[in-house]
Amino acid sequence: MIKKIRVRGYRIHRDLTIYPNRKLNLIVGANESGKSTLMEAIVLALTGRINGRSAAEELNPHWFNAGVVADFITKRARGEPQRLPEIDIEVFLEDAPELQELCGAHNSDTPTNACPGVRIRCIPNPDYSAELQAWAKAPSRLLPVEYYCVEWTTFADARLTMRPRVLATAVIDARTVRSTSGVDYHLRQILGSQLEPQERANISRQYRESKAALSDSAFKNVNERIGKLHALLHEQPIALAMDQTARTSWEESVAPHVDGVPFTMAGQGQQSAIKIALAMNKHAGRAKFVMIEEPENHLSHTSLTRLLHRMEALASDDQQLFITTHSSSVLNRLGLEALQFLGPTAPVKLNELDPETVSYFKKLPGFDTLRIVLADSIVLVEGPSDEIVFERVFTDLYGKRPMACGIDVLSMRGLSLARGLELCGRLGKKVAALRDNDGIEPDELRKPLAQWLKPGSREVFIGEVAHGRTLEPQMIHHCGEAHLRTILGITDKADVETWMSREGEDRGCPAHREFVGAVHASGIHAPRRAVHPWLSG
Amino acid sequence: MAKRVTLAVAGSRKTQGIVEHCARLPRERRVLALTYTQKNQCELQERLARYAGDHLNIEVLGWFTFLLRHFAKPFLPFKFPGERVLGFNFEGMPSRMATGKARFVDKSGAVYRSELGRLAFELIAASQGALISRLEGIYDEILIDEVQDLSAYDLDIVDALLGSAVDLWMVGDIRQAVLSTNGRSAKNKKYAYAEAINWFRSREKKGLLAIEESAVTWRCHPKIAAFSDIIFDPSWAFPSTVSKNDRTTGHDGVLLVCSEHVHAYVAQYGPQSLRHSVASAKNLALDFMNFKVSKGATFPRVLIAPTSTITNFVRGGVSMDAIAASSFYVAVTRAQQSVAIVLDDPGMSRLPYWKPAADLERD
Repeated sequence: MIKKIRVRGYRIHRDLTIYPNRKLNLIVGANESGKSTLMEAIVLALTGRINGRSAAEELNPHWFNAGVVADFITKRARGEPQRLPEIDIEVFLEDAPELQELCGAHNSDTPTNACPGVRIRCIPNPDYSAELQAWAKAPSRLLPVEYYCVEWTTFADARLTMRPRVLATAVIDARTVRSTSGVDYHLRQILGSQLEPQERANISRQYRESKAALSDSAFKNVNERIGKLHALLHEQPIALAMDQTARTSWEESVAPHVDGVPFTMAGQGQQSAIKIALAMNKHAGRAKFVMIEEPENHLSHTSLTRLLHRMEALASDDQQLFITTHSSSVLNRLGLEALQFLGPTAPVKLNELDPETVSYFKKLPGFDTLRIVLADSIVLVEGPSDEIVFERVFTDLYGKRPMACGIDVLSMRGLSLARGLELCGRLGKKVAALRDNDGIEPDELRKPLAQWLKPGSREVFIGEVAHGRTLEPQMIHHCGEAHLRTILGITDKADVETWMSREGEDRGCPAHREFVGAVHASGIHAPRRAVHPWLSG
Repeated sequence: MAKRVTLAVAGSRKTQGIVEHCARLPRERRVLALTYTQKNQCELQERLARYAGDHLNIEVLGWFTFLLRHFAKPFLPFKFPGERVLGFNFEGMPSRMATGKARFVDKSGAVYRSELGRLAFELIAASQGALISRLEGIYDEILIDEVQDLSAYDLDIVDALLGSAVDLWMVGDIRQAVLSTNGRSAKNKKYAYAEAINWFRSREKKGLLAIEESAVTWRCHPKIAAFSDIIFDPSWAFPSTVSKNDRTTGHDGVLLVCSEHVHAYVAQYGPQSLRHSVASAKNLALDFMNFKVSKGATFPRVLIAPTSTITNFVRGGVSMDAIAASSFYVAVTRAQQSVAIVLDDPGMSRLPYWKPAADLERD
């Protein structure tokens, strides 16, 4: 099991440390937050490969963190003896007996710590130090990677050339279909792990024999003919035979079939679902680490639900999953406690979440939890009406929509406020919640929420009981009934509150929009207004 | 088997014992076989391939490689943070005054052979248990052949292994302690060379290991075995060697040869000539092998060019010091059937002289 990952100088990650969960890790972040890069980094350190090719072959200047390179250039320009940019990816593993071969003190921990682990580094090749020094005199943003070397080692300082068996890793990328020719490297790895060594040897032998048989039978007449023909030219007879070199081994000619259809002809969603099922399937040689990129891609909501259900059933203690996702369904369904949020400053984990809250969100697959996770600050409101009112008030006040200021206004639609505040609290999000008093004193309502409230960062705003139970009577109170009747064109016969409750829910109603404007113009919607300076403060 | 040491005489099939032990082990058992000399390492590897070739979890390492791979390399940062072992300096030694990193590692980052034992031993404690638990995770069992050659810090390392969960079987012949892993180290001097037996006996008393003694030789003829027993002063209290070599060739046992007959003897019996070192027996133009190098080897017949210590012993029974006795013991016990010692003046020795047939006729 991976206990810690440290990525330094690799692409977007200048210095990132993640402490993964034992079983499941849902890696979430905004676009460009480095989710895929983190996955890549883990795979690089575990397998020495990237997209099936060796790191040394794939090394290119864009692997180096742009900030590190820029710093290097500025500092060298100033004449400071700045160290050449390096990449260092470390994967710290748990101290298990079967991993001891990888155990040692060659890691970045201070004070010195010995644990099993692997590390991949891209460092200046000492053989080219003269060339590198020459380059560093007038450095450019593109590092001369040909003077760098890739060093893949264990924490015991032993060089690795092949992935250690104990680090079996399966990579499933549902974002794109990589290979058009057939089965890609990652799938071949997954398929290969399904076979026992004897089975593999047996298939290999029979395949070779059947190819040989084909050479002896089908090609017999042909060979007799061309043998005579070419013998005249080259002195030695020429014959056709099936290629028996490694290039044409059985693995290259085998493709999984789904219900009789070749795998690559199956739908993309189905392809990734099959890969996930194969990788997580319980068998001896199965991967210890499974990396899944955006499993939600190419899947309908129903298929995704089925796949997630399957993944939950197959998950076990001896397999650690890393999943990137943009889908709240995946997040809610697989469990919020597994969240690894790559925030703008530091990564955030959610493992202290109340188990009840976790199962609460599991039952709300439709709730857009990711919006809470990704937002800078959040305003939780009761329903669509509140959402519209708030948006309008905010826009009028600041000339910008809340979203433009990094404030996400989220309608709870029945989400328990306590759960929402707990989540925000654990994520360290600034949140303002607006709720109806429903005829109960605001102080009473705050009591059960107290443990999640923190002045200045998590607060609840509630209208006074005397001013009405819900949004509508509060509006009437603050705007004055006559004023509202005029703006909304409500006849004297109709009751204002009933009218508003009925018509107000229709968000498309022009009258409603006008009404919102009127509310703001009157400048008296106190609790909602109170939020504004608080948010901008 | 938990922890034990087998102290055996020369020719008691120690290495073969290890090989057969390995062949009997379950295939999944992870075994490390350690030897001291390069020659023994090749021998063990070759024999294991023959007798336990299907056992893929047996690894053969030299003692230094073991210390480098499992002690120095993984854990060096505990003593010198951020440093790596970049090589092994077999010949060099640190300056006597060197301290800190310079004590253990030369300028190019290579660990001195002479300091490797100490470095390895100190890293056991420095790693706060990680080093030993790492070994416990990698191996179920460690076998040490030629254990008599370990000295100084090596024995402290064995002590640490005695305290680990790894099964340990050490095999050696105290009488053959010709080589020392560290000639200069003062550490454990009291255990050096043949006194190593006391080291094992003190561990046995503490209940850390069981000592088994094996006094049966399958190699040496009874007369050679009896002669080998008198090389060491009786105060050592070594058990008498029992020979199971019942072959007779008509030229068996220990005898003397005058230097003028050496070439005739060599021509007739083709013995392997042995000498102490390049510096000895310069007057004889024979295809010599040094005593040290001959360790572990078996020859039908040997011819020994004696050192002055050996000469004094043979002539008048002057007892030899432990080192000299060890090296002579090794030379004598290489032979299956006959040992010839080149000696012109027999002194009080009652060993028979060999003479060429022509001389015999003349007598």
